[in-house]
Amino acid sequence: MDLNLKTLLRIIGKLLIITGTVMVLPFFVALIYGETEAAKDFIAVIAPSVFTGAMISLLAPHSHRPLKMRDGFLIVSISWLIMSLLGAVPFVINGCIPNFIDAFFEMCSGFSTTGATILKNIEALPMSMLFWRAFTHWIGGMGILVFAIALLPNLGIGGQTIVRAETPGPTLSKVTPKMKDMARSLYLIYTGFTLIETLLLMAGGLSFFDAITHSFSTMGTGGFSNYNDGAAHFHSAYVEGIITVFMILAGANFNLYYIALKKQVHVLVHDQEFRLYIFIIGVTTLMMTLHLYFTHTFDTLASSFRYAVFQDASIITTTGFATTDFNLWPTFCIMVLFLLFFIGGCSSSTAGSIKVIRILVLLKLFKRSVSMKLHPKALFSIKVNDQPLPSDTIQNIISFVFLYIVTVIGVTLITLLDGVSITTGLSATASCLGNIGPGFDAVGPVLNYDLFSYPVKLVLSFAMIAGRLELFTLMMLFSRRFWNPAH
Amino acid sequence: MSFAFRTLIKIAGLITGITGIAMLAPMMCAFYYGETKTAIAFVITCPISVVVGFLIFFFMKPSKHALKTRDGYLVVIFCWIACSFFGAIPYMLSGQVPSIIDAIFESVSGYTTTGASTLPDSCLSNSLLLWKATTHWLGGMGILIFIISILPSLGIGSQRLAAAEAPGAGLLSAAPSARDLSRSLYFIYISFTIVEFVLLWQGSSMGALEALINTLGCISTSGLFLHSGGVLFYHSVFVEIVISVFTLLASCNFLIYIYIIQRNFNMVKNNLEIRVFGMIVAGATLIIAVSLYATGTFKTFGESLLRSFFQVSAFASSSGYSIGDYSVWPTFCQGILFILFFVGGCTASTSGSIKVLRVIVMFKLINRGFYKRLHPRAARAVKLNGKAMPARAVAAISTFIFMYFATFLIFSLVLSLQGLDLETTLSATASLMSTTGIGFGDIGAAGNYSVFCPALRLFMSLIMLVGRLELFTIFLLFFPSFWNPNRAKIK
Repeated sequence: MDLNLKTLLRIIGKLLIITGTVMVLPFFVALIYGETEAAKDFIAVIAPSVFTGAMISLLAPHSHRPLKMRDGFLIVSISWLIMSLLGAVPFVINGCIPNFIDAFFEMCSGFSTTGATILKNIEALPMSMLFWRAFTHWIGGMGILVFAIALLPNLGIGGQTIVRAETPGPTLSKVTPKMKDMARSLYLIYTGFTLIETLLLMAGGLSFFDAITHSFSTMGTGGFSNYNDGAAHFHSAYVEGIITVFMILAGANFNLYYIALKKQVHVLVHDQEFRLYIFIIGVTTLMMTLHLYFTHTFDTLASSFRYAVFQDASIITTTGFATTDFNLWPTFCIMVLFLLFFIGGCSSSTAGSIKVIRILVLLKLFKRSVSMKLHPKALFSIKVNDQPLPSDTIQNIISFVFLYIVTVIGVTLITLLDGVSITTGLSATASCLGNIGPGFDAVGPVLNYDLFSYPVKLVLSFAMIAGRLELFTLMMLFSRRFWNPAH
Repeated sequence: MSFAFRTLIKIAGLITGITGIAMLAPMMCAFYYGETKTAIAFVITCPISVVVGFLIFFFMKPSKHALKTRDGYLVVIFCWIACSFFGAIPYMLSGQVPSIIDAIFESVSGYTTTGASTLPDSCLSNSLLLWKATTHWLGGMGILIFIISILPSLGIGSQRLAAAEAPGAGLLSAAPSARDLSRSLYFIYISFTIVEFVLLWQGSSMGALEALINTLGCISTSGLFLHSGGVLFYHSVFVEIVISVFTLLASCNFLIYIYIIQRNFNMVKNNLEIRVFGMIVAGATLIIAVSLYATGTFKTFGESLLRSFFQVSAFASSSGYSIGDYSVWPTFCQGILFILFFVGGCTASTSGSIKVLRVIVMFKLINRGFYKRLHPRAARAVKLNGKAMPARAVAAISTFIFMYFATFLIFSLVLSLQGLDLETTLSATASLMSTTGIGFGDIGAAGNYSVFCPALRLFMSLIMLVGRLELFTIFLLFFPSFWNPNRAKIK
């Protein structure tokens, strides 16, 4: 065992400080809305965690050993679990979610940007708690530790190791030489989008509170809403349109925005992943719109399009908002949405699931294998954006997708122990692992995850975090090889 | 375009002729049971197929140049289309199958060893059941290998044909040439058939015809239903065990039996695929049995174990028999059975689906994924039975698995147009692709696909063919580069 435990401890210290700091925001919200109870609950978490964090930072010994991949996996996994555990505490103290496992589920769902909830009546929650729920999406969207690296200049850790373990999608390109700069520029773009969306939503008649919480939820591709009927609450095509656009923006590669901002817009437009992403959205929306219209699910073509495009964007970006109960849609539309469950957004976005870049590589693998069948002796390389992909990257993509399939199947079996239908179990699992939120049948968009037993909720919570950290990071901890390097 | 069309048509003619000859037994059966209309149907179809087939075979001159890979793929498709078409005629003429689409469905379901039907149970007469069982049996080992084993006179690149036809990854080659290999395979296949037939005939109350139909459907891992309520009809534990054991035997790698005949027991003992297959069947049986017993679905553990074993072997071997109505079992048990849709039997067997060997490679790749993430710069080969697999084979296998899942989702999308619930739609696709035949939801234990509209029934025939011919054989046709060799480039 040669894990770098000193650095791990120091990072946990920093993390506790960060957790305390970000909770100051909902604390202020509680003060503004005069929710003294909730304010006390937040303080009860802020004070001890900041104090402990500060103590650890002061007392813990320094280590000058660079971090290895192994350390990166451990640090990232533990950090996410700690954040989710701490984040759950205010709900329990407050009593709005009495059971800790429920609260933990809710927070895993928050930080992993899933948006699955166990709450029957969301509107009963205090404003500050609603804010905290949405805010976890926003933090989780870009990554807690990327956040830490961006905020704390002298963390003294090898950023790249951690970012690699936390960022969604295979990293194909380096944008800036320094991780810190990259993290900062990404957060700047992220914040920018959030602010713009807030303003636009306010222009649509939303209160500042509703606008900012829904912006957090949209940009983090989370899916928590302040209302039981979700985004449909506003009954406004304009609001839905804005949310749709920003969901799609949040599901695209943020590195590309960074490049596009440096006046290289053509890179964005010609990016193969981005093109495929837009293409998939376009085709599936068209299919659903036509099907909804011709099956008379909605009266007009316009309203068919309105609901189809919103739902399409919501699922492919793994946000999970719903403007209508898509459980009642024709099976064909449900099947289209189910397909989208396994696609997800682009790499380096806030979206979850398998990601478009991997789908792109798989499509190229299909094509290559056809060519190989016809020309058994020829060699073919796989190129993305005219760059040949190294075989290591391809191998990583293949093993990821396999692990994804196997995990979906395994976790589905566990959920079936509760006796739910196969559709419910499968869609709940795919939804949690893909960080989407709603599923089909008994976990449909107007229903919730409260029907599962506590052990299953715990498994699904882990599935959400595992899905957010791209499986290997968290699941590594359960492998023998991780703890025994000689293996 | 340089396809050896003459040779292709010649082979397809032979297949048609054989289809005709295979109709002799059901024809006599029809006469014996006095099924006039069906007898006439066979009397019309049989000579036509034989005459047309053998005329083409004997008078068509083969193309001069040797067969290439792409000819190999095309010939497989030609043959399957030819035999499915001629095989459908008796159903159609007999008047027992309402439409031509249903007749094609029955025929394709027969040759692909799926055993699915669009008709209610026990609707076909004895002779047609025998015909369906015969097509199962013929389709079981792939009619093409059949040809290679009995007609080496063609003198064409038989290795290549076998590569396109034989199910599975085909990493091992036990016999020196494809001809000898398929001869040994058929010897084993026929022996199994005879042994099971005798067991079923003598060991139970079944008549000879019923025992024969059951045997043909079992050895080919098709799972032909004779009675609604499945195998429970016989009220005989002996029948249940014989059928499940033989269907499992038929879904083991047939090369194993060759090794056994050669007394090469080391190869048998060290064969990873067989061991994993055994573990999967045993594990699934045990888990389902415990679950059935614990939830009180059956009163005794023995009964739970028996039912579980039968149903697991039916799914794992992709035969698709049913024992009672498993849709009332706990969803956990159904979930496990559903997973078996995607595993299937071993390579070089009559079963369908992804196959155990590929699943093993898939898990090895996941394991390597963990390793590669801890040691990003290390190189590590995937090993199978102690030997490193070539990267090309690994790539081919992983692409196949992805393709399987992608095809599954896309086909489900098409079937969802029917508007049935998700469970029915997904299980119908999984069942047809893996050539199992039974499903969940509206399809249920009876494996009756009449809930789908005629257009989709035709599409389902395609699904079965795609699944049976391991995806690529059919998919290749849709690539322009298949027809125009000079365009095979990746962008």
